[in-house]
Formats: sequence, C-alpha cells, structure tokens
Amino acid sequence: MALLQNAGVLLEKELRAELRSRELVTTTVVFILMVVVLFSFTFDPTSVESRRFGPGMLWLAFLFAASLMLQPCFLREQVNDTLSALRLSVGDPFAILLAKVCANTLFLLLTELLLLPIFAVLYNVAIRDILPSLALVFFAGSVGVCVTGTAISAISAQARMRELLLPLLLLPLLTPVLIASTEATAALLAEDHVLRWDWLGFLLAFDVIFLTALWLFGEYLLEE
Amino acid sequence: MKNLGSVFAAYLLGWGIFFVYFVSVGRRMASLRDDVERLKKLVGRDK
Amino acid sequence: MKKSVIAALAVMVLLGGAAYASFFVAPTERTMGTVQRIFYLHMPSAITAFAAFLVCFVANLLYVLKREQSWDWLGVSAAEVGLAFVSVVLVTGPIWAKPVWGIWWTWDARLTSTFVLWLLYVAYLLLRSMIEDPERRALLSAVFGIFAFLDVPLVYMSIRWWRTQHPQPVIFGGPGSGLAPAMWRVDLLSWVALMSLMALLVRYRYELEALRGKVDALRLVVSEREPREAEAQ
Repeated sequence: MALLQNAGVLLEKELRAELRSRELVTTTVVFILMVVVLFSFTFDPTSVESRRFGPGMLWLAFLFAASLMLQPCFLREQVNDTLSALRLSVGDPFAILLAKVCANTLFLLLTELLLLPIFAVLYNVAIRDILPSLALVFFAGSVGVCVTGTAISAISAQARMRELLLPLLLLPLLTPVLIASTEATAALLAEDHVLRWDWLGFLLAFDVIFLTALWLFGEYLLEE
Repeated sequence: MKNLGSVFAAYLLGWGIFFVYFVSVGRRMASLRDDVERLKKLVGRDK
Repeated sequence: MKKSVIAALAVMVLLGGAAYASFFVAPTERTMGTVQRIFYLHMPSAITAFAAFLVCFVANLLYVLKREQSWDWLGVSAAEVGLAFVSVVLVTGPIWAKPVWGIWWTWDARLTSTFVLWLLYVAYLLLRSMIEDPERRALLSAVFGIFAFLDVPLVYMSIRWWRTQHPQPVIFGGPGSGLAPAMWRVDLLSWVALMSLMALLVRYRYELEALRGKVDALRLVVSEREPREAEAQ
C-alpha cells in the first residue's frame, strides 16, 4: 500500500508539472497530426483505403510520438539532478517507475483522445458506436507502449546519442503491440465492427508481462 | 541436380559469415593486446 | 598442441562432416529437389542462434543478481555470436526461397520474427557501444537483454497470428509434413556441429571481452597515477 501511496504522490507531481507547461501533450498532438496528414499523401485517403491503412498508420504515429514524448521523462530528472533525491525519499524505487508509467500512459491517452475526432473527420470513419471498445483497445495498447517505453527511457537517458537510441531500442520491442493494436483497431473500424478479444487479450498479456518485468528489474535502471 | 549453385552459394555465404566474424574477433583481440602492452609499459615505467 | 587449436580443428572436422552429409548422404527431397539441402545449414543455425540468445538471457539474469563481470562478458559474447548465426539464417533463407517460391523474401511469420530478433540484438549491441562506464553498461544492457528475450515469444506469436493465411511450417506442422529419418540424422549432425562452433566462438569472443576488461583496469591505473598522460591519449 505504501507503494501505491508513494506512486500516487509522485504521479500528482508529474501531472502538476505537465499541467503547468502543457508542453508534452501539445507537441505530441501536433506531431501526430502532422504524421497523419503527411501519410495521407502516400495513399489515396478515401474511406475504403483509410479503413485498410488507417489503423496501422495511426498506431505507427502513436509509436513514433511516444518515442519522442518519452525522451524528457528521465532526462529532466537527470538535468535537474532530482533522481537521487527521489530515490532517497521514496522507499521502493518501483514507485518512481510506476508513477512515470501512469503519467506517460495518461498523456498518451489524452493525445489519442484529442486526435480521435480529428482522425474520424479527416478520414471519414464512423467511430461513435464503437467508442467503448475502441477506448479499451487504445488503453491496452498505450499501457504496453508506456510500460516498455518508460523502462527504455530510463536506459537511454544514461547513454550517449540518447535521442536516437530510445526509438532504436523501443520500436523493435513494440512490434507485438503494433501488430495487436493495429489488428484490433482495424477489426473495429471494419464494416461489422468486431471487438477482437484475442488481440485485446494479447495486448493485456503483453502489459502484464512487461509490468512484471519492470517490477522485478526496474530498480536496477535507477541505480547511481 | 538442379539449383546446386544455390546450395553452394548458401553454404559459402553462411560459412563466410562465420569466418569473417572469427577474423574480426581476432583482429579486435590483436589491437587490444597492443593496448595492454603499451599500458603495461606505461605502468612499469612510472614505478 | 594447444587445447584451443585441437578444439578448433575438431569443430572444423564436424562442420566438414556435416556439409558432406548434407550434400551426399541426405536423400534428395521430392518436391523441392537439391535446393532443400540448404535446410541443413538454415534450420540448425536458427536453433543454435536461439540457444545463444538463451545463454545471453541467463548471463544477463545472473549479472543482475550477482554483479560479477564475467556474466556480463558471457552475455555480450553470446549475443554477438547469436547475431552471427541469425545473420546466416537470414542470408540462407532467401537463397532457399528464391528457387522454391520464386521470391527472395516473404513476410511469413518465421522469417519476419527472425528479422525482428536480429534487430533486437543489434539494438542490444548498439546500446552497449553507447555507454562508457563498464558497470553501468553491464547493468543497463543486462536489463535490456532480459526485456528483449521476454519479447521474443511475443513477437513470434503476434506475427504468427497476423500471418495465419500464409504457408504453414513445412517441417513441424500438419500431417504429411516432416522429414525422413535419414534427413533427421543429417540435420542432427549439422546441429551438433553448429552448436560446437557456437560454443567455440563464444569462448573466443569471451576472451576478447576479458582482455577489454583488463585494458579498462590498466587504463584506470594509468590515469590515477598520471592524469595528464591519460588525457593525452
């Protein structure tokens, strides 16, 4: 329980910092929007085509956006040298990671929420009826992205060429998430709007596996 | 014996990769050995 | 003669024997013909690569738990050698595919997941080259190695589900597939040969890493004794 309490306090801190500047969410939204528009030049963005390519494009944009959004996650702590202070004041280092995972997931979900109507309008896909199922898929996928992403961000922050290294380490790890969320989203956007429980279950399994791995090995990433 | 050429190419390339890797480890090792010698001399001289 | 020379010679004899067996002993496959003989290099290399990555994973785990340099050395050695074996798989695959399927590459489950596997371990090695401090490098790369290895079955499963419409595995799945006993024997011999090659290469690469540790230690001594000279280097 102390873990959750600590994580809650730290999460509040992260959210307050973001609320003050709103830098992260704003830039990420603009970035994804740009990717979506640029992508539309590479294929015919009519309704049928966009049903085929839309989900993959959207998730690819989310993945790239996440690999940018996660950059400052640990870098900020390093620049201000606050990580050691955090580690001293918080008993379980996993609380620090958990707070960051939650904060990043919330930021990513927020950007997705902001972009979904725009995407629906631009590509003429009806999403009103499938919103709950879509939210479920987006949630499971985003948690997977942010759990691994936070761990990789902690690793890359301590290396040279960190801006390049983060996507390089993260994107191959996220192959399963990309496939599963794209397939699940595509099935929802298809004519008969099916919720693919198998893919959703796969995403949740991914989340659980890597959350466990982060719980077991995450503390080593924060060592001085 | 159709496609025998492909089989030969595959084996040649496959073994080639192992051989090139082996040589590259050897070369890296040689350059490190030089480093060790040089550093040892440096340490010995200062004593 | 030195022990390492004898070991190297033994591995070479084994490899030669395996090649001889796959060219002359194994029966010619009925539908694919001669080109199927690539199989005796392709498939055992893949299994050997997985074995190497398993070694890497275990070494990573042990490093995290015990913090002994030697586990880090074993980890990087196994990863690099495993990568060499995956490269062989990726090179021999298209050479086999071209005459059989008419194309060099198909996005089938095993090919694609092997490619992702290759990328994951290239990333592991790149990460190592980007961290100066040996202890930090060992720890961070060990954790990444654990994550990467956990990811491998997930990658494979997701790609397999994604590409179910594609040809099923020829060797393991379905009735009517499978190898003749003589083929299995050749395959086993080839696998033994490649596994011993893997062990030899890992050992060799381990020596290199140990030497690097020695150089790092010497550098430290030199820089402590005479800071100016170390800077000049």
